Amino acid sequence: MAHQRVALWAAEPDLDDDINDVDVDIPIPLPSSTNELYDDPNLQLDEGALQAMQQHIAQQAAFAQIPDVVKRFIVHFHQAVLDNNLQEITVAYESGWTRLTEKYYAKTEWPEAETIAPLVNDDQIFLILYRELYYRHVYSRLQPNVDDRFHSYENSCELFNYLLNSDGPVQLSLPAHWLWDIIDEFIYQFQSFSLFRSRPASKTDDELAMLASEGGAQAWSSYSVLNVLYSLIQKSRANEWLKARAEGKSDEEIEEIVGEYGTKPLYRMLGYFSIIGLLRVHVLLGDFTLALKVMENVGLGQKAPFTAPTAVHVSTAYHAGICYLMLRRIPDAARVFTGVLNWINKTADRMYALLALCHVLAPTRLDDNVMNIVRERYGEQIGRMGRGEEGLSTFEELFLYACPKFISANSPPYDDPAALASMLNPPTPTSPTSQSPNTILNDPTQRHLRAMSSHFLSLTPVPSLKSLLKLYTSLDAQKLTGFLDTSGAGADEEEVLSWMMVMKNAGRCVGRVNITGPAANGEKDNEGGLRPSESLLGGDWMSISDLNFVIDQNMVHIAESTVGRRYAGWFIRNSEHTARVLDGIKASPLPPRTAPPVQKKSVDVPKVEGAPRTAGPKVAWGGVKVA
Amino acid sequence: MAATSAWLSPPSRTELIENLVSGVDRYNPSNVGILEDYLYHQIRSEEYDCLANLAILKLYQFNPDLFNPDVVINILLKALTAEPFPDFNLCISLLDDRPTNATLDEPDPLPTLLPLLTNLYNLLHQCRFSAFWTLYRSDELEVVRENYTVECAGFEDAIREVAARSVKATFTRISGERLGSYVDLSGSKLEAWVAKQRWALDPSTGVVSIPPNPDNQIESVVIQEHIKLPQLGKVISHSVQAK
Repeated sequence: MAHQRVALWAAEPDLDDDINDVDVDIPIPLPSSTNELYDDPNLQLDEGALQAMQQHIAQQAAFAQIPDVVKRFIVHFHQAVLDNNLQEITVAYESGWTRLTEKYYAKTEWPEAETIAPLVNDDQIFLILYRELYYRHVYSRLQPNVDDRFHSYENSCELFNYLLNSDGPVQLSLPAHWLWDIIDEFIYQFQSFSLFRSRPASKTDDELAMLASEGGAQAWSSYSVLNVLYSLIQKSRANEWLKARAEGKSDEEIEEIVGEYGTKPLYRMLGYFSIIGLLRVHVLLGDFTLALKVMENVGLGQKAPFTAPTAVHVSTAYHAGICYLMLRRIPDAARVFTGVLNWINKTADRMYALLALCHVLAPTRLDDNVMNIVRERYGEQIGRMGRGEEGLSTFEELFLYACPKFISANSPPYDDPAALASMLNPPTPTSPTSQSPNTILNDPTQRHLRAMSSHFLSLTPVPSLKSLLKLYTSLDAQKLTGFLDTSGAGADEEEVLSWMMVMKNAGRCVGRVNITGPAANGEKDNEGGLRPSESLLGGDWMSISDLNFVIDQNMVHIAESTVGRRYAGWFIRNSEHTARVLDGIKASPLPPRTAPPVQKKSVDVPKVEGAPRTAGPKVAWGGVKVA
Repeated sequence: MAATSAWLSPPSRTELIENLVSGVDRYNPSNVGILEDYLYHQIRSEEYDCLANLAILKLYQFNPDLFNPDVVINILLKALTAEPFPDFNLCISLLDDRPTNATLDEPDPLPTLLPLLTNLYNLLHQCRFSAFWTLYRSDELEVVRENYTVECAGFEDAIREVAARSVKATFTRISGERLGSYVDLSGSKLEAWVAKQRWALDPSTGVVSIPPNPDNQIESVVIQEHIKLPQLGKVISHSVQAK
């Protein structure tokens, strides 16, 4: 003890210097002649005061370590938050924090909130926001330890408590980007904790003790996470707001409906983001119907009702697509992925992988640009998955790579050591290979994988059946059986007929858009998002196979649909391009007769009023792909 | 949305249940009894409400103390009859693996029955209907038949409907013998069932004719592209502006 104390004091002079440098007023309630104080044997310090003092000293030492530029940044950041200066907050949040992280904290934590508290006058609200960033940095750059996991939960609770349970709406403005990150990170940490909790085999005694405690059972519980999200949605009346907008209500009416919280951008955005957060939480917990149900008022494919960060659209599409995949509504899944991949570029590899799975389960015509990238990245896997049962391992690998890390709603019984031990080492003598202690118990991902795999396996006879049937207009079932039974492995007619029924069932499915018919219900032409809301779970039967057949007793009759050549997209794209070139030429000044150097100017075509091309030619394609 | 309207909101669902399915009250563990009663009502009355049953499983997921394996088995049996909809898998997705529950009075039947039910489901999904009936009638499944499906009104008929959906999409005519193996019926019982489907059995040949429906009528079509006005918006507006 004493030894440590000396070391701390040795650092004291520097510490003072540093503090003077920043010119920040810090109360130091320590006696000036401290050395004497410790030497005085008559002085009785009680244990608590001693600890508090030591903590204080440690903090000062830590404070001394903070580079000046970071201190100035924090002071400035704090001021911006106090002023509700959105622009300054955005700069601090998006560039300042990131820059300083790269420079000083790429491999270590930011200073603790308690350490920087003097810089911000102990402003508790700012310190909560600061900790939000602090822990997010720990989770993304470093390895959170068990204390971090519990403390970040406590800090989230404090933040949401402040937002939800103050007297009326709080006077705080934060940029949309940050608000989304708050919700997104909250769910990420919930997921991360659940995964951490689900592996009892690799825990230290400390971790076991924490998880067994009463707080350990409460922290990051599913109920508490859902409670936060639902409270934010209800407080802001986000669903009522979306409904009112869809019904085309006036601004005054909407203001009336959403109340004092919902009119504030902070709450409105948090409410909206919480709906998308709920989608994700339900997906992680394996409730794919409820996940889509909560999204009813948000819809899919519509523009967000305010400028939302790209991450919002990506998260929405990814999780909604997973829901449709698990509901075996493959064309709907593919359409959701394609919709967002059209305008975010190469950042979403997992969605391309999911599209490859969709393509294998139900090949439908998709946007050419997106499909080309899918083939580029996963062409080889698609080929392997088309080869029947031997493709299963590829299918499973790709699913495990691309699916979310699903979580269990409940904790292993940490509070019951006997039950936990029997979970780790089942008393029944099983074969030693079946349960290695490192297997993750209760892994829900395996459960979802099994469902997908058995669907994949049921479809394995389809590709070869299909390629065979394509050669005929009618074919005797017995003959067909003979063709399929090339190996003599004993495919009998009954089995082939069951494959035929599987193929028939696979050729139609429930979906939200009839992609083959002319009545393609235009999802994309939304009139500013004012379409009446419709259920994301609803759908109609549609045919998704180009090869159709019917069996008359023992005779199979086959009809193939072909897609006529498509000209429209090419025509529209090139017409628009020509129009732009023409406009560019017309808008350029005539080249002066004498001075050839000016020519260079006409090369970069200036923008011309009246040529509406903010969205580029993609819009035209967006329509064509569904036709 | 014709294909899903009954699934999303079956006519049998009362307002009370609708509020539980669609509102935040679905998370309140004290409502589990209402939903369980509704399940048993479905079991007795040949009704089915997937979303309400998923709400029970959700409550079990969050409150393992509520878990009742008999209820779960009944929900899964009901979900079997919904094929080709993926209800069975949606239910399985919510069944978190639980440590063996020592608080139950009797041993939990689910660990033994779940693989069997999954096998039944896979046979239906693979349209191997004869094999389904063979397994269903086997000794192994006796416990399911005697303890559960016997109480579940119309269970076997509901499975026959699953087969009928695939058959009428795939066939225009099918031999009575083959059809009989798909629905586990023969003789006069098969005749009565065929008549109830409004299909026609030719007594001299024993062949069943299935009336035309959108799925068993085929034709070759060439799909032409459809161009909508908004796609041409830019081209047209430009041509108007051009002098």
